[in-house]
Amino acid sequence: MVPLSEYATVRVGSTLYEAILALEQVQKEFDQAKYKHRGMLILNDEGRVIGKLNHLDALQALEPETEDDVETTLFYYGFSKDFVRDISRRRRMEGAPLVNLRQKAVTLKVEDLMRHTEVDECIDYQAGLDMAIHQLTREKLRSLLVVRDGNIIGILRLADVFAAVYHTMTGVPAQRGKHEGS
Amino acid sequence: MKVLEQLFERIAQRVTINLREFHFNVHPYVEHLVPFEKLSNFYGFYGVTSQHPLDFKFLHSNLAGSYFLGKCRITNSIVYKSDVRGDELKKKGTVFESQGFQIFLTRDEGIRIEDSFLIKTLVHNHSHDPEHPERFPICNTIACRYCNIHGSPMDGSFLEPFATVDLTTMNDCVVGAFSYIQAGEVNHLRIAPGTIWVKSPGHFNFLYQYPKDSLRRYVQFVPGFPAEGLLMDFVHERKEDFQRVFATVNGEAGIPVPGNASVDRYAVIKPKTSISDNVLVAQRAFLENSRLGKGANAQENCYIINSNLAGYDVTAHGAKIVEVDMGEMVFVGFNSFLRGRPDARLAIGRDSIIMPHTIIDSDQPLHIPAGSLVWGLITGSDDLAKNSISLEELRAIQGGFSRGRLFFEGSGSDFVDAFCVRIQHILEANGAFYDGNSGLGHAQKNQNISFNTIQPYSEGALKGMFPTIDILP
Repeated sequence: MVPLSEYATVRVGSTLYEAILALEQVQKEFDQAKYKHRGMLILNDEGRVIGKLNHLDALQALEPETEDDVETTLFYYGFSKDFVRDISRRRRMEGAPLVNLRQKAVTLKVEDLMRHTEVDECIDYQAGLDMAIHQLTREKLRSLLVVRDGNIIGILRLADVFAAVYHTMTGVPAQRGKHEGS
Repeated sequence: MKVLEQLFERIAQRVTINLREFHFNVHPYVEHLVPFEKLSNFYGFYGVTSQHPLDFKFLHSNLAGSYFLGKCRITNSIVYKSDVRGDELKKKGTVFESQGFQIFLTRDEGIRIEDSFLIKTLVHNHSHDPEHPERFPICNTIACRYCNIHGSPMDGSFLEPFATVDLTTMNDCVVGAFSYIQAGEVNHLRIAPGTIWVKSPGHFNFLYQYPKDSLRRYVQFVPGFPAEGLLMDFVHERKEDFQRVFATVNGEAGIPVPGNASVDRYAVIKPKTSISDNVLVAQRAFLENSRLGKGANAQENCYIINSNLAGYDVTAHGAKIVEVDMGEMVFVGFNSFLRGRPDARLAIGRDSIIMPHTIIDSDQPLHIPAGSLVWGLITGSDDLAKNSISLEELRAIQGGFSRGRLFFEGSGSDFVDAFCVRIQHILEANGAFYDGNSGLGHAQKNQNISFNTIQPYSEGALKGMFPTIDILP
C-alpha cells in the first residue's frame, strides 16, 4: 500500500493545470524506483478523499471536445466503426487539436473531471489478499482505496497485490518498493 | 371534466412508464400544454367519401378539433386539433411489398390510436411494418404541437414539438424538438433536438444535427413551458385565419379552382392566390399571394406565402415557404422553413430536394442551383455551400463523406434514388399527373368529401369526453 501522505493529492477547486504540476512534483520528490504515480486523489476542504483523477482522465479532458462528442453521436446513430475512425482521422488532420493545451488546462476544474470514489473500490485495512484480488478483478480496478475508521489512509495498487501474490507463491520475502505501480 | 382529467393522467403515466429507462417523466412537459377547458370547446369531424372506407370507432376519447378520414379506431385517447388522414391506408386484397416480401392483405388497414395524446399532430400514410401490415397503431404515445407521424407505428414514445417520425417503427423513444427520423425501426433511443436522421440499413445513413444555440431561435421546448421560437410565432400570427375557416359551416375557396384540382374547405386561401390543374391543397394549409403551378401540392400545416411554385412541386406536411421562387419538381420536406425576404428572394432550381426540417432564413438573395440536395440551417451563402451538394455529385459517392455538420455513409446513388422514387410516388398519389383518364389521385378523389361533425359532452363529469360512436356505411 502507498500511504496517503506519499500519494499525489490536490484540493477541490484546483485546475487541471495545477493537478498536472502536482503530479509531476510528487514524481520528483519520491523515489522513482518505489512509485510511479499515474493518478492523484482529490481532497475536499476537510482533507477527505472525494475522488480520483488518473492520466487517462486528464488526457481525455484535454481532447478537443467535439471529437469525443462526434464519435459518440455517430456510434449512437449506427455509423460503422470504419466510417467513424475515418472521420475522426480526417478531422484531426484538418485541425490543430493540441494547440493551447495550457490555456485549456487552466480553465478545467478537477472536480469536474474526477471520478467519484465508489464503495466497491474501498477495502478495509484489515482485509486479506484474497478479498483484494476479488475486488480488483470483479470491478476491473487498477487500485483500491484502503479505509480505516471511515478514512482513506492509502492506496493499494494492482501492482502491490500482484507482487504479494508473487511472494506468497514463491515464498520470497517482499521488499517494499521493488515493484512499480500500475 | 373529471373523466377527461383522469384520462390525461393515465396517458401521461403510461408514457412515463415506457420511458423509465431514460428517467423521463412526461408530466412537466405536457401538464399545461392544452388547458382542459379548451378540450371541450371544439367539435371533431370526419370525412365521408366513396373513395375511402368509412369505418370509425371512437371510444372513451376526446377528439377536440380533430379530423378523421378512412378507417380509424380511437380508444382512451386525447386527439386535439390533429389530422388523422387515412386516405393512403392499404386496402383489402392488395399486395404490400416490403423488404422483398409480397404480403397479401386480408382486410383493410386501419389506424388505431390507443392511450395516446396527440396535439396538432398529423397522422398519415400507412404502416411500413411488414409484421403488422393491416394495423397502423399509435399506442402509449404523446406527440406535441406540429408533429408528423407518417407511416410510423409507434408505442411508448414522446415526440417534442415539430418532430417528425417517417416510415419508421418506433418503440420507447424520446424524439427531440424539430427532429426528423426515418430509420426503418428504432427502439429505446433518446434523440436530441434538431436531429435529422435518415437511415436505410445496408444502403445509407444520413445524419445532421442542428447547432443547439441556433436551433433555439426557431424552436425551443423546455419543461413547464409551451414551445417557443420563431416557428411558433409564425403559426400563431396566422391562427385567427384558421379560426375563421373552422367557424364557417360551408367554406368556399373564394378563387377559381380547376375541376381536376382540390382545395380543402378547411384550408386558408388569401387573395391573389392561383391554383392550376391537378393541384392538391390539404386541410389546414395556408396560401397567400402565391401561384401553385400544375400538379403542385400543399399538404397539411403548410404555409405558402408570396411564392411561386412552377409545377409538380411537393410541399410536405408542415413546410413553410415565404418569398420563394421555385422551379418544377422541387421537393420541400416536412416542417422545412424557407424564408426569403421581399427584397432578397430565395430561388430554388428545378429537380432540387430540400431535406425535411431544413431552415433557410436569409436576408440576402440566395439561389439554389437546379438538381441540388439541401439540408440543415442556412442563413447565407456560406451556409448554403456547406449544406448542399449536387445530386449528380452525391450519386457518385460510395463509402461516405462529411460536410459541415452532415455525416453520410453508404451509397449516394441509393439515397438519391430513394428520394426520387418517393417524390414520384407522392406526386402520383396526389394526382399531379392526371390526364383526364388515368393518374387519378387525392386532388381528384378529395373533391367531393362531406364533413360530419361530432360533439363532446358539454357539462358534468363527462365534460369534454366524446360519446362512444361506431360509424359505418
